[in-house]
Amino acid sequence: MAASKSQGSYFGLFLVGGIVACGGIAYAATGAGKLLLLVGAVILVASMVGFFKIKPLEGETPVLSSPEAMKWVGAGVATLGWLVTLGGLRVVQGNGGRIVVALIGIGLSLFGILGVLPAAFNKTAFWKKPSGAATRAGVTSRSGRATVEQEMTASTAMGVTK
Amino acid sequence: MKARRRSHVLAFCIAAATVAVAGMALAQTPAPPAQPASAPPAPVPPATAELREAASKAPAAADLAKGDPGGTVIGNVADVTVTDAKAGITLGDAGNQIGQNKIAINFVWTLVCGFLVMFMQAGFAMVESGLTRVKNANHTYMMNFFVYGCGLLAYWVLGFAIQMGGAAGNGNLGGLNPLNAEHTVSLLGKTWGIFGETGYFLAGTSYDVGVMVIFLFQMVFMDTALTIVTGACAERWKFVTFSLTSVIMGALTYPLFANWAWGGGWLSQLGANVGLGKGYADFAGSGVVHSVGGLTALAVCLIVGPRIGKYNRDGTSNPIVGHDISAVLIGCFILAFGWFGFNPGSTLGASSNGNLRIGAIAVATMLAGCTGTFGAILYMWISKGKPDASMSGNGLLAGLVAITAPSGFVSAPSAAIIGFVAGILVCVSVSFIENVLKVDDPVGAISVHGTNGLWGVLSVGFFADGTSNYGGSWNGVTGSVTGLFYGDASQLAAQLVGISTLLGFVFSLSFAINMVLEHVVGHRVSAETELNGLDIPEMGQLGYPEFVFRPEIAYSKAA
Repeated sequence: MAASKSQGSYFGLFLVGGIVACGGIAYAATGAGKLLLLVGAVILVASMVGFFKIKPLEGETPVLSSPEAMKWVGAGVATLGWLVTLGGLRVVQGNGGRIVVALIGIGLSLFGILGVLPAAFNKTAFWKKPSGAATRAGVTSRSGRATVEQEMTASTAMGVTK
Repeated sequence: MKARRRSHVLAFCIAAATVAVAGMALAQTPAPPAQPASAPPAPVPPATAELREAASKAPAAADLAKGDPGGTVIGNVADVTVTDAKAGITLGDAGNQIGQNKIAINFVWTLVCGFLVMFMQAGFAMVESGLTRVKNANHTYMMNFFVYGCGLLAYWVLGFAIQMGGAAGNGNLGGLNPLNAEHTVSLLGKTWGIFGETGYFLAGTSYDVGVMVIFLFQMVFMDTALTIVTGACAERWKFVTFSLTSVIMGALTYPLFANWAWGGGWLSQLGANVGLGKGYADFAGSGVVHSVGGLTALAVCLIVGPRIGKYNRDGTSNPIVGHDISAVLIGCFILAFGWFGFNPGSTLGASSNGNLRIGAIAVATMLAGCTGTFGAILYMWISKGKPDASMSGNGLLAGLVAITAPSGFVSAPSAAIIGFVAGILVCVSVSFIENVLKVDDPVGAISVHGTNGLWGVLSVGFFADGTSNYGGSWNGVTGSVTGLFYGDASQLAAQLVGISTLLGFVFSLSFAINMVLEHVVGHRVSAETELNGLDIPEMGQLGYPEFVFRPEIAYSKAA
């Protein structure tokens, strides 16, 4: 689909909803503020519904679906690392101990970000698949299929790797 | 007869009008204050007498009319604004003028530095577009252009209030007293700031000259963080999703962490509340600006996936060369120029409170950029055989990013070391992210800003030398920020808590927001759009309409 009038309209709606909602937050103590917040939230939801409706019009992207749960696990592990660091502030008193606990927390977060998440996203990465039609349903159902595969093959043929 | 009568009427009208105007003028002239008949004249303090004597010796109008080619005549006691012209200058008038001048110097300094930082957007646009292919030039430039508007709008309506709503107390800018509401929670028997609650739309009590100055300065910093993401996700990111991400980041993600670090939030209170050094210290934003931008870029890059043709089936990567290396290097120079606003400007003043350190900060910035370039050039030259131009530019930027947090606290030699390490680190990080993580970052933004932003935050904990004195305290803790190498391990602990927060909270929040956007809107353009180039499908116009495109297939075969 690329950029379109619908996208522009829903983005405009999103901005209006956001501004109205923020007006509500600014005056949340008053009745009018609460009303504004509610109206803004409704407009925001409406814009998101609109975006969701037109999403299929974009056409097939080369990205294939990958394990959803693993992605959230990765983000969860990253967050857990932060919580470990915060816990260290309460449990440990000395500087050395706090540094060690913070390093453990950072290590845990890095494991989630650099270990779990890339593995989750790359598990079914489109570039791993052979150029056969069956494995790349997202792209092969479109007329651009040949071009995609040609270019991918050609890129491989460039042979210049780091 | 008729003519004479007409002239009498005219004369009468003029006279009446004159009387009326004179009457109105008299009515507006205040009556002279009644003088007490027998009050003795108040004694004039010696200092005031001296001031009045100096005023009496001030050059007369006739002298001033001769011109002042040497610049030695104007600018004297006669230029001090007095409250009572009849009574003459008083000590109070002189004091008020000194205070006004201090605030004026700090306002002008902060605003001009903010203007320099704003111009960095042009540098980012050139670097990012130069490193992408010509078929996506318009799209990449437009992302860099529109991110300014998206960020500014979001920051004005919500972000600024979250970040700075509780940041009152900055003496450099007159106190910023309207920004006096921070939402807090009680934990460990202490009060911790979570987010600000005043300053929405810059309305109400926020309609204040000092607040406007800090808004402008903080806004351009926020926008720098936003524009980092556009480079990392270039050449395959839907324009509408980019717009949504930018608005949300400017309204929420960035301001939240910035409040914790700079707005009186809990990270800045680590020193006062639990004795970790002077609290999380990030002078100009290696963490607040660059790590937040770099980590958000990593989150979106993971979701959006690599460009078609970047990776081969065996996982090896193909270089996708940018279209204009001259734009890249000129853009890097513009960024280096803007950085003189970024780091020295973060004193938020040039007068009093130790702000004369601005010279040292500017030199530290300059040196780190220089050694960062050397680090990258030497690394590429020795390991790959060529002093790669794009990596040289990234080395300069990496050095600048790394020195951003410690610039206010470190010596020149330390700045040189920090920059050199950053120059090498960016090369190693680019290779790691591309070849190990299989994350496609066309411009190296994750490495330049994310990796080196974290290194910058960490380096404060090592290299801060305890010589800076910004009003005698930092984050409400008496003394100067001092790192491990100068005897304070607790500052390193505070910096590590900051890094952990960036990785565990900021990254995760950005990831969650963008995953939701992925499901609702979708981040990636179609394969067909990507292959044709994003300029026509997304923007409706080629960046370079008169260029003859050489199809990439043919290019590949020729290669």
